[in-house]
Amino acid sequence: MKRAILPCNGLDKQQGVLARELALRLMETQGAEVICPVLLNNSPARYEKALADASLLVIDGCPTRCASKLANKLGLRVDDKVLVSEEAKSAGLDVGESLRPGSVGMQLVEVMEAGLARAQELAVSEEPATDFESPTDYLTVTYDKFIFKIPAQGYLFNENDCWVQAVGSRARVGVSDFVQQSLTDITYFEPAEVGREIEQFDEIGSLESGKSMMDALSPVSGRIVAVNSQLVDSPELVNEDPYGRGWIAEIELTDFDSDKELLLDAAAYSMIVEKKAAEAQR
Amino acid sequence: MPCSGIGKVHGLIAREATYAVTDELAPVNAETLCLALLVSGDEEALAKIQQSDCITIDGCPKLCAAKNVEMAGGRVVRSIRVVDAFKNHRGAQPGTATTLADDGWTIVREIAGDIAGCVCGGSEVK
Repeated sequence: MKRAILPCNGLDKQQGVLARELALRLMETQGAEVICPVLLNNSPARYEKALADASLLVIDGCPTRCASKLANKLGLRVDDKVLVSEEAKSAGLDVGESLRPGSVGMQLVEVMEAGLARAQELAVSEEPATDFESPTDYLTVTYDKFIFKIPAQGYLFNENDCWVQAVGSRARVGVSDFVQQSLTDITYFEPAEVGREIEQFDEIGSLESGKSMMDALSPVSGRIVAVNSQLVDSPELVNEDPYGRGWIAEIELTDFDSDKELLLDAAAYSMIVEKKAAEAQR
Repeated sequence: MPCSGIGKVHGLIAREATYAVTDELAPVNAETLCLALLVSGDEEALAKIQQSDCITIDGCPKLCAAKNVEMAGGRVVRSIRVVDAFKNHRGAQPGTATTLADDGWTIVREIAGDIAGCVCGGSEVK
């Protein structure tokens, strides 16, 4: 699949300059399409086709993360992200403050390019991403003033309040409405690493609110082929749409038939929710 | 304020002309700022732009820099278009989006000199 790259403006800080250098390097070596962030903001239609046909890599220079904010504002699906300041720290490289990419800066660009190539090798999917549809029918569990929604069909659950929606050999996983209401306003999401092989009940990301935190445990085994990067900037999507836009990861399934033996359908899970809700009120 | 100008030679010229002014020709009188900071609503950047006279340099006629500075409440005292500079250099081969050729650098120097003169009031160009 072709790659589109949305770098930050990268004008007045060294990390930004290197974000731009990395984008241009990938444009030259991979034929990736570089998206001008300000033009995208002014005229999103200009890049509609390019974004529809490509996987999107967002490159931010500094922690202000202008490019990520823009992607989030426009509701773009982000497949990969790079934060140059973090990459420099990880690589132990001091790139200085010059607005010209010096030798250390270019060394960092090469490190980042190699890292992206490795991640792409691991994460590349053999098939196009499957379309997952949001649920339309729900079972509800009412307890006191709370109403918990559970998709009536198409979703299975583990007792740890995580769901899986499988389409073919691919599945999307996330947390249930009960989790998002229990945590209240979710303020932080830490994604799992794309490409990692996981067993059923391995951790696939963590969520945190002012009230509590939770490690999401995968209902299925397989390989993580994508994570919902939008949640990094907008973890509240889990509150707003836990079974749709609040998905956490996509998994290439390896043993779904066995996994299913330990999973619950909507009716069985609703009984678990009822019990947990009662316990939480005690 | 140059446009983001990534992926096109005109944008690269806008960026290099800006650096030439802020780093070499008028470092005391001029500074630059990431346009994306304005677009993303960075409060510090907005405050700075609202207190400054702004010269915008746009690579293409879409005028992203001029439009966004104005939208951010900045006062655009001069709006420069790189495409206009090409009118005096018919047939110029400016280079690519990643590397400028001699013709490209000539246009950079021309635009930068123009801006530095404006910034320094026609005198004391460093």
